[in-house]
Amino acid sequence: MNTVLCRSDAVDGTSTPCLPPPATPSYMVDHHVVEGIEERPALAPHTDTDARLLVRLIQCRQCSKPFSSPVTMPCGHTVCQRCLPAPQRRVNISYPQTLDHQLGILCPVCGQENSTADCNVDVTVSKIMALLVDYVSRWTAKHAEVVLTLEEVPQPPNDALISEKEMKGHVAQYGGGRLAGTFQMAVDGLLDYWADVAYSKSPGCEKDDLEDLDLDHFNSLRDAISTEMDCMVCYNTMLDPTTTPCGHTFCRHCLMRTLDHSIICPVCRRDVYLSPSLLYQPKNHCLASILDQVWPEVVAARKHTVSEEERPEGALDVPLFVCTLALPGMPCFLHIFEPRYRLMMRRCMEGNRKFGMLMYNQASTSQGDLGVTRFLEYGTLLHIVNFQLLPDGRSLVETVGVSRFRVIEHGMLDGYDVGRIERVDDISLGTEKRLEATEVGTAQSQAALYNAQHPPVPMTAANCPELLTTIELFQACKQYILDMRARSAPWLSERLVRAYGDCPDDPATFPYWFAAVLPIAEEQKYLLLRTTSVRERLKIVYMWIRRIEGQRLLLPRCGGYIGNILATCMGGFHASLTAFISTS
Amino acid sequence: MALPKRIIKETERLMAEPVKGISAVPHEDNLRYFDVTIEGPEQSPYEGGVFKLELFLPDDYPMTPPKIRFLTKIYHPNIDRLGRICLDVLKGNWSPALQIRTILLSIQALLGAPNPDDPLANDVAQKWKEDQNAAIETARQWTREHAKP
Repeated sequence: MNTVLCRSDAVDGTSTPCLPPPATPSYMVDHHVVEGIEERPALAPHTDTDARLLVRLIQCRQCSKPFSSPVTMPCGHTVCQRCLPAPQRRVNISYPQTLDHQLGILCPVCGQENSTADCNVDVTVSKIMALLVDYVSRWTAKHAEVVLTLEEVPQPPNDALISEKEMKGHVAQYGGGRLAGTFQMAVDGLLDYWADVAYSKSPGCEKDDLEDLDLDHFNSLRDAISTEMDCMVCYNTMLDPTTTPCGHTFCRHCLMRTLDHSIICPVCRRDVYLSPSLLYQPKNHCLASILDQVWPEVVAARKHTVSEEERPEGALDVPLFVCTLALPGMPCFLHIFEPRYRLMMRRCMEGNRKFGMLMYNQASTSQGDLGVTRFLEYGTLLHIVNFQLLPDGRSLVETVGVSRFRVIEHGMLDGYDVGRIERVDDISLGTEKRLEATEVGTAQSQAALYNAQHPPVPMTAANCPELLTTIELFQACKQYILDMRARSAPWLSERLVRAYGDCPDDPATFPYWFAAVLPIAEEQKYLLLRTTSVRERLKIVYMWIRRIEGQRLLLPRCGGYIGNILATCMGGFHASLTAFISTS
Repeated sequence: MALPKRIIKETERLMAEPVKGISAVPHEDNLRYFDVTIEGPEQSPYEGGVFKLELFLPDDYPMTPPKIRFLTKIYHPNIDRLGRICLDVLKGNWSPALQIRTILLSIQALLGAPNPDDPLANDVAQKWKEDQNAAIETARQWTREHAKP
């Protein structure tokens, strides 16, 4: 691309003094780096340079004529079908095993080898060409009296020394104004793709308002092809036009979303063999240049709107995945296959890689101010650590819990939930201490009073966790873990450690780790998410342990029964988990 | 949530260039919900009838098909008692390049060409196969009774 730029720059304003000062050959500029509309040179179809530029947009680089049966190859370049080089046999390609994949065509523009199966007529460019040919010929007939002399000004490659004779370009007379004349010159094969054009009024042409005529023509052509520039999926002007191997073009993000749902082309239903991540699929350069040149303001507006739309509306800025329980600091492994969540993950990866994980509200209970929602109001914000896109568009996602949150407000975006969330943090350590002191003190004096009456079941730490200090609770829970480990095989704990890390020494995070490894109902673990005191969380865990131990004691003949179940569950679960981790 | 441009454009076009024998009017309070009427095609047992349907565009439309149901009772092998329609393009064969207009035309075409080999209403399909003339007569009668213009 850069060489093209130099070539035009070298010539503008020197060998063709009739041209206006060298305008940036803007059609070659990659507009993706240009921010905002103001910086883009305004198109002036009634000037010599831009009339030439516009026609070059639809000229084939091979034959220099306007495209006829244009083919857009997977590399994104367009040439006439007849200008495609002969296919050559490709070596070492065995999949897919069809003849047309065994044959390759070298792109005459960039040299990339494309499979013949993927080189099909570009439907959109074809339609545009048919419309242009029709409109230009009608226009020329109507304004035949405006005759211009067009002189081709060849641009020699690489500043090579070219003789006077070779430098001499074609000269021809055409009616209809600059734009129509240049187009017709290209049709007649008298205008090289790289050449510039010098315009002069033919003798006898009295037309004074040539500028207005060209502008009118440009506007009529623009209106004629504008509907072809609409994406068949979103009905907007195409943004970042991307063409399927079958020759149909859509906005890149529309095609991506379509492929989330089905691998067939929305228009012709042929299978679309494209990588699920279209990010690296080259755009349709021809259509992108036309859009950037002819509708710069529309393209800029579309970019703006799409970036707004992709962002969840207003304050509802956190995508919410209603699926399972996740815990702070703990890993959560997900297999994403539903189309809506594929879209959500893609947006997360483009954004801050965070989303909220919520559990289903299976009992349809009321969730605070939200009323009855399909999810439970407390969840965990997850950060995507590892994202592995599978060839068929599904993905394996490794996440880790960042913090707990509560949903304040929620809505839908493209089929998935979004919401405004409030971070849930623990109470201050000061409050925590006061809570402990009061609770332990009260419980101990009550127990002393109660036990003094010699009841059949005295109040002990076993049935009244309030009697224990926070650290005693923590140590009791930790001791249980040690006992469990002693009972089960050592490799089991290794696997546990590999997935969830070693048992934390921090009483604040210990309950999350414990809940992550303990195979009990998620609804019970959910309690931890809404508990904002370390002591309360430890009490919950302590009671789980008491219950499990109690069940074990009630079944003396099945000594270690629950413990074994626990070990087996953990083992099975973590075996699959470890397999997943080692592959990713 | 703002209505996508696509839905706005489709609605505008449906209003500006209506299809003969088909009307679709969005509800004022929910622009994703349409009241639809389809006239029975000529040369079919449904000729002369006007059928009411409801159409809803889900959140991820056009990635997923519109949800459509007959409200008027109809005797047809591919439409069940609840008005649900067995039509490939409303299910797996949906494509985002289709639109409300094309879907309604497909439904109208389905009225003109019942397919008892791919039934949704099994009893109707059975009758249709056993005694086509009687089934068609029933369809005519139901049209006269329930689908009065």
